[in-house]
Amino acid sequence: MIEIKDLYFKYYEKFILRNINLKIKERSFTAIIGANGSGKTTLAKHINALLLPTKGSVIVDGTNTKKDEISARKKVGFVFQNFEDQIVYSTVEEDIAFGLENLELKNNEMVRIVEEMLSKLNIKNLAKSNVNMLSSGQKQLVALAGVLAMGPEYLVLDEPTTMLDAKNKKNIIKIMRDLNEKEGISIILVTNILDDLGYANHVVVLKNGSVIFNDKKSKLSKRMLREAGLDD
Amino acid sequence: MIRKLSFGQYKFRKSLMHKLSPHLKIIYVIILSILVFAVRDLPGILFFSVFILIMVALAKLDFKDLARNMQPFYSIFIFILLMYIIFSPAQLKQGFIAIWRFLMLIIISLLLTFTTAISNIAAAIEKLSKPLKIFNINPRNLAIMISITIRFVPVMFINLEKLKEAMLARLANFKKLKYIKLIMLVLLGRMFKSASSLSDAMHSRMYNENAESRKMMKLGKYDYMSIVIVALLVLVIY
Repeated sequence: MIEIKDLYFKYYEKFILRNINLKIKERSFTAIIGANGSGKTTLAKHINALLLPTKGSVIVDGTNTKKDEISARKKVGFVFQNFEDQIVYSTVEEDIAFGLENLELKNNEMVRIVEEMLSKLNIKNLAKSNVNMLSSGQKQLVALAGVLAMGPEYLVLDEPTTMLDAKNKKNIIKIMRDLNEKEGISIILVTNILDDLGYANHVVVLKNGSVIFNDKKSKLSKRMLREAGLDD
Repeated sequence: MIRKLSFGQYKFRKSLMHKLSPHLKIIYVIILSILVFAVRDLPGILFFSVFILIMVALAKLDFKDLARNMQPFYSIFIFILLMYIIFSPAQLKQGFIAIWRFLMLIIISLLLTFTTAISNIAAAIEKLSKPLKIFNINPRNLAIMISITIRFVPVMFINLEKLKEAMLARLANFKKLKYIKLIMLVLLGRMFKSASSLSDAMHSRMYNENAESRKMMKLGKYDYMSIVIVALLVLVIY
């Protein structure tokens, strides 16, 4: 479980996050929603220990991110909003292996995992392709494969559908659902697109860096969405 | 725009050049780059040029593609030539040799990047730069820096083109220095932003500067043959 306790985050004398208290359970599908500038990405980066709390704590399966960033990152994968900037190497299979190199896996083990990821995301035909020649949808899948290769138990996806067309949007949402239902990976979806909430069972609404709703999706009201600036 | 995307990027082929050890290819790039400056007369130029063209053919690279990749450098060639014509017309021959050297250096480096996957270049650089550890330089950091540079060169070209179009749409005039300065500043800003995102992404994928590349790179028969050929080339030119 991921527990966020009394989290405050200050950036240049301004509090971006205030008094955040959340629990994200194993195998859950949580959506963090909020208008632009509400602090969604900042919160997501705390879960992956890319940012550390100014005050309070983020505990990933019993490990405080302030004390052990690496353990948190092993458990939590992060797919960035701008996936173009997430790809380190030039060919698809090389980039998927980047995280595995960092985990110091043996060569044959890396090859096995890379092939497994290529099959899982149905991009085997792109293995040798130059990432610069791929479409946005394909780049998104490569970025996702690179993160999944590291075997995370939690997966944070920061606005994964923003840069995609309708077909690729559907595909990525279906992948998220499969990862959650079939493989038991907890999904933490950061978005401001209400259509993306489809498979989420828990919703967290942020407004100006504070949580204004944290409950089952079925309890999310239009009034709450309006208050968060997500509905007219 | 797609054309610019392929600049210096790895092209998967089943060729002799692709099969050569990345370590050797990097060493050959250094040797050939030094040899270019040892060639001073016409027979030498012809011999060296033919050698390089054979390498291009062995790499199964498209000559048209290679020529397209040279396009950004044509203006530099013209600039060099103009400098010789204006300031030293008596040494025009030297000007042509300077351009030829420049051209060869570009082709030699493109031969490496076209035929070697970036992770292999990185692994080879990592291994070759191990002695630098005594100067406190981390070989993996160095290798990753070079890989990222190669990966992001085309991205920079795309950003530049997009930015240029956006500025032209709002009537920017690139004949004025003001706009050139502006486009460079904005481009630099965007590249820094990308670098910051990439750094976050690398941290999130647990970038480990002490992890050693696991790639096994044993020399094969073609590698030994290439050593003999390059050694002969060095002997002939010197």
